[in-house]
Amino acid sequence: MLNDLQLNSILEDFDIAYWKINLLSKEVTWSEHFNTLVGNPEFSESHFEFFLKEILHQDYRYDFRVYFDKLTEENEAFSIELKLKLSNGKYRWFECRNLKNKENNKETAVLLFVNIHQSKRDQYTIEENFFYYRETAQMTNTGGWYIDTVNKNIYWDNVTKKIIDCPLDYQPPYEEHYKFYAPEEHPTVTSAFEKCEKYGIPFKVELKMQNLYHKDFWVRATGKPVYNEEQDIIGIRGVFQDINEQKNNELNLQNSLDIIATQNSRLFNFAHIVSHNLRSHSSNLCLIVELLKEAKTDADKIELIPNVADISENLDSAINQLNEIVNRQSLLRKERRIVSFKKALSGVMASTSSLINRENAKIVAEFHKLKEISYIPEYLESILLNLITNAIKYKHPGRKPVIFIQTYIKNETSFLEVSDNGLGIDLDQYGDKMFGMYKTFHENLDSRGIGLFITKNQVETLGGSISVTSTVDVGTTFKIKF
Amino acid sequence: MGQKVELACIIDDDKIYVNLVKKIIEIKKLSNNLLIFKNGKEALDHFKLILENASEEILPDIIFLDINMPIMDGWEFLNEFIKIKNIFDKKITLYVVSSSIDPRDLERAKSFNLVTDYLIKPIELKKFEKIFDRNGHAAA
Repeated sequence: MLNDLQLNSILEDFDIAYWKINLLSKEVTWSEHFNTLVGNPEFSESHFEFFLKEILHQDYRYDFRVYFDKLTEENEAFSIELKLKLSNGKYRWFECRNLKNKENNKETAVLLFVNIHQSKRDQYTIEENFFYYRETAQMTNTGGWYIDTVNKNIYWDNVTKKIIDCPLDYQPPYEEHYKFYAPEEHPTVTSAFEKCEKYGIPFKVELKMQNLYHKDFWVRATGKPVYNEEQDIIGIRGVFQDINEQKNNELNLQNSLDIIATQNSRLFNFAHIVSHNLRSHSSNLCLIVELLKEAKTDADKIELIPNVADISENLDSAINQLNEIVNRQSLLRKERRIVSFKKALSGVMASTSSLINRENAKIVAEFHKLKEISYIPEYLESILLNLITNAIKYKHPGRKPVIFIQTYIKNETSFLEVSDNGLGIDLDQYGDKMFGMYKTFHENLDSRGIGLFITKNQVETLGGSISVTSTVDVGTTFKIKF
Repeated sequence: MGQKVELACIIDDDKIYVNLVKKIIEIKKLSNNLLIFKNGKEALDHFKLILENASEEILPDIIFLDINMPIMDGWEFLNEFIKIKNIFDKKITLYVVSSSIDPRDLERAKSFNLVTDYLIKPIELKKFEKIFDRNGHAAA
């Protein structure tokens, strides 16, 4: 057996100090090491009281007293983690517990003080790091993954599972894990994984993924090789960050930018068109004035008057047209509402009933696939009005106009199609000008060339697009993507 | 005043403008005859017909071409006219005439070799006289 001296030296080596407690007198004696730890203080009160007052951190005073009483009165064992003020004036973590009294010695008890400061601090650091990691992962929607290329297994952490929208007990299939990437990303993904697995090249890419329910979303993915001790690559690990919201915002922003850019260029054109349109009348006026100056007889002068009347009339109608465009544009300030296609169409048909009746036009509408839409009602009516009057205006002379209108949803996007059996138009020749201002392709007296310009504007203002297909002598279809 | 132009041609959909130019040409006796088309296609069809039939009908000495017209605008006419122009055994002076003051239109017109000049409406009477005069001399 070890004697006290040997024991003491061992305990000291392990930085373990102890108290001896006389259970009868409740008198406490400190081991030498304990005394050293707390700086060999001098005091007049008892060890116990001094300890409570000067050494033990106040947070533990109450608990410690309770445990101490229980130990001395009922010989009840305890263990507590507490902070002691050491000789350098700093608090350190100790584990305090009583040594099991094997000899059934009812007279003395031993209380051990084990320095656990380092492990306590490590534990805190780990907890703290884990806290930051978890908070960061959740806040940034970043999940970890590991692909074990040797045993052909995939591991996802909970955040990754949340991003993929699968249950927490879901086991990702190794062979089919490509199904979680959008098909168009497969070449990128394959190349990134292969390079990482074969050559250890890390990757950082933005990818479109698909969750368990085939819904697309964007992630930023990083991957790095994992080596074993022989420096062979045994897997790839990395993180997925769900950036769907940012990416969508970015795409929306780009989309808005594109719309603004096209609207800007249209505005620029509009300005030129306005100046051109007004200038053509003013230049005619100038010509008349010159002719009036040149005219030798009154009769010559009077002969020019009807021209002045024509010019003023044309100028007036040009200004009215421009005004109409500006007015329609100012509808922009209106708000979207749920509009029923049927209602919108019946409104348009009522206002064009005389035209429809005169031309004996037939309008067939199928709205059962998509009955309503959140849109600016005035826009929807204006769009329908323009496309319908357009179809009737450019009807085929050999047959009565039939207009087929349908709505539907494809790939989560709403569509409106207006088809006619009219003249049709050669798109190779006129396609890029279809929606330009004052572009007319048929020698029709009531062609003004602003209807489709306005329609395109309205559709694009609300973030959609319009396209056209046509066959000469067969008909034309306008397709609006909302 | 030089030699009078035999045949002038106006391609323009603005009836009032055409009327007024007609008057100027009449009053100033700038051309013996006047050919008028209200868009590029009508004009092109006419010239193509002359080619096909090797018709005796005379070609204009001078063409005033508007830009903004329905059916076939001035640019489209120019693109087609280039293809047949050299077949004609005659020098035809062509002016693009427009009320557009857009510099891009001016640039574009100058990019065609067969365009003598870009004239902005309104063209003053004196300018008209000069053009016809110069043209008359050139043709002489």
